Amino acid sequence: MKFIVSSTVLLKQLQSISGVLNTNNTLPILDNFLFKIADNKLVVSASDLETTMTTEIELTNSDKDGTVAIPARFILDTLKTFADEPLTFTVDESSFGIEMASSNGKFKLTGFNGEEFPRIPSIEKASELEIKSEALGNAINKTLFATGNDELRPVMSGVMFELNEENLTFVSTDAHKLVRYRRLDVQADKASSFIMPKKPLNLLKGILDGSDEMVKVQYNNMNAYFEFNNIQLICRLIDGTYPNYEAVIPKENNNVLTIDRKSLLASVKRVSIFSNKTTHQVRLKISGSELNISAEDLDYSNEAKERLTCQYSGEDIEIGFNSRFLVEMLNNLTSEQVLLKLSEPNRAGLLIPEGGDENEEVLMLVMPVMLNH
Amino acid sequence: MKTTTHNIDIITDLETPDSESINTPNLDLPTSDIELRSPNTIVHMDLDTFFVSCERLLEPKLNGKPVLVGGTSDRGVVSACSYEARQFGVHSAMPMRMARQLCPEAIVIRGNSAIYSKYSDMVTDIIKEESPVYEKSSIDEFYIDITGMDRFHGSYKWATELRQRIMQETHLPISFGMSTSKTVSKVGTGEAKPNGQINVLRGLEKAFLAPLSIKKIPMVGDKTYQKFRSMGIEKIQTVQEMPLELMERVFGKNGVIIWKKANGIDNSPVIPFHERKSISSSLTFEKDTIDVRKLKEILTTMAEKLAFYLRNGDKLTSIVTVTVRYSDFDTRSRQMRIAYTANDHTLIATVMRLFDQLYQRRVMARLVGVRFSGLVGGGYQINLFEDSERTIKLYQAMDKVRNRFGQGAVKRAVTMDTKGVGQMSNPFNGQAPIIPAHRRS
Repeated sequence: MKFIVSSTVLLKQLQSISGVLNTNNTLPILDNFLFKIADNKLVVSASDLETTMTTEIELTNSDKDGTVAIPARFILDTLKTFADEPLTFTVDESSFGIEMASSNGKFKLTGFNGEEFPRIPSIEKASELEIKSEALGNAINKTLFATGNDELRPVMSGVMFELNEENLTFVSTDAHKLVRYRRLDVQADKASSFIMPKKPLNLLKGILDGSDEMVKVQYNNMNAYFEFNNIQLICRLIDGTYPNYEAVIPKENNNVLTIDRKSLLASVKRVSIFSNKTTHQVRLKISGSELNISAEDLDYSNEAKERLTCQYSGEDIEIGFNSRFLVEMLNNLTSEQVLLKLSEPNRAGLLIPEGGDENEEVLMLVMPVMLNH
Repeated sequence: MKTTTHNIDIITDLETPDSESINTPNLDLPTSDIELRSPNTIVHMDLDTFFVSCERLLEPKLNGKPVLVGGTSDRGVVSACSYEARQFGVHSAMPMRMARQLCPEAIVIRGNSAIYSKYSDMVTDIIKEESPVYEKSSIDEFYIDITGMDRFHGSYKWATELRQRIMQETHLPISFGMSTSKTVSKVGTGEAKPNGQINVLRGLEKAFLAPLSIKKIPMVGDKTYQKFRSMGIEKIQTVQEMPLELMERVFGKNGVIIWKKANGIDNSPVIPFHERKSISSSLTFEKDTIDVRKLKEILTTMAEKLAFYLRNGDKLTSIVTVTVRYSDFDTRSRQMRIAYTANDHTLIATVMRLFDQLYQRRVMARLVGVRFSGLVGGGYQINLFEDSERTIKLYQAMDKVRNRFGQGAVKRAVTMDTKGVGQMSNPFNGQAPIIPAHRRS
């Protein structure tokens, strides 16, 4: 088996899928890239059993088809050192010895049998949809931070994709905060849903760009498949039932605060430095058109208070939040103005951006902390 | 022993009891030794037989009679006794049964912590008003840091006047010791008692401690005392003369601290605010029991009560500990880390789970206890899916009722019948927990 490929082209492709590689694999073969030559095409895969990423490179020069597993660290480190130059790979099919020849040198290493590499799952009876690269990237960015880490509730460690005839909804929650990101420009023929784990979403985020190009998505009840820019990602879904999120979003929120997002964010950030280092608790007190943000840490006698003017319609209210949640949410929104909708001090607060893309609908929910005094 | 006022001033012969003399170093001591000592002036005040004194204020007939305050049951221990009773060999921490045998004519009083707290607060208020920095180290003990005051008032005169004011206004006998560190002041108070005062001048701490029994050093409990005695040591002087290395070898880290204290070296500051690191509740039964249901009821009562204190003090706990002491004094405890909470249902469930894991021996239990530690200030983060709005509102309503009508105004049905689980006032007010004398080390 023999092929010639540009060092930079190969490096770029390998780097785009190398995120899948785990540092300590139970299966040693997973420390390798799987190289496969077929029809003058080089197909490289990397996998951690849960997620597999594959990329393709067109070759001009290859002799015959075959597979080999090449140690990933080894080849990545080597390729990084080359300026752009063609490399000739020669693989001995019986011993899996690999020889890499550059213009000035020869490098030999031992690979492994490509057949040992886990089979890449194929998707059967899949449903399909297409979504703009930019929209998917946005959805991932806005939801990923709100996912949970509780091992006892694995479904909440992922992002749920929910499809129906009208829209596509992405939901994430860790039981303290929740994000619902809805795309009105994507529809499916029938209602369905699946839960994507965190890692492949992070990887997807890395390969998407902010363009209008379409990402092809296929899914069944076991796996999901994404294809974009020559790169394919296939991953196992999280099995389980996602909590009924619609039921916990309060419907009646009569107290509505409208405020400049950046000034609220700056204020909360500043005040929260003075809050308790474990609970990060801040207090929001709204009366008239004045928002008071305060925090205290009794252990160190730290205290901060700040006053902001805002537009407010509703009753006076005093509500406590974990400031980290507020900061994360405000950071992930992009609009100039945000609405904070509240009902009672013990019920969820909703953050909704004002204006923005007409095809997207963003709702962020944060549970308060109990205030006793 | 006389209970009339008498002042012990062991060094008054040097000069006047106050002012300049305090800063006169004893030239016999190596200067380096003096430098090790703090240049501070610390007063330790201790209310004499505090519980008994309170009872006597309420019932003057008790004056001059042997009085015991403590548990009246068979399991009860003496938490305070009058000097009259001490003549019979009674001391605090002694089982009430034994005390009664030693002194059959003693009047035994159950004790009422609410009244003691009230009197204690009266004294605290006076000290607070007069002192620059004070530490309430227990219900009847105070440390006051008056370093630097000497230049203006004369420290000893000031302390004497403070003591007089407390006695005049509250009619409670109080003693004090004044010296350069908390340790020496406290030992001094012990020597001044009952109803006396003492001033151990700077430079003379070592000489003052030397002839005293090693038992007088705070920190030396029964076990350490026995160990010292088995080494043939009785007087603090011997410890002073011992090499530090030897103390460290015999008693470990504590040995170094004991040696320093014996030499009058103690740099611990007067801490005005006591940060509560944990809150706990425990109960020794009048009779050992194997009734698991009863045990669980008691634990539930404790958890419920402590959870209420947490919420009221704006605190959350992250570590729950359950302790069981069997009738053979085998004491086991088990703890668990949980997400920060102050909710009854989570805490009670955790306590029950720990108890089920813990109570494996089918043996009578003598004591059970619950402790919440890993405390942090803040409100409970409400969970989207696990908490219903009703429970949250229920807790707030229950707490409101309790704050208005008393802690026992609302409780769970299972805890209706449990008795003996004590109540505290706000445990997060910065004051030291009330620990009866017999449980102090």
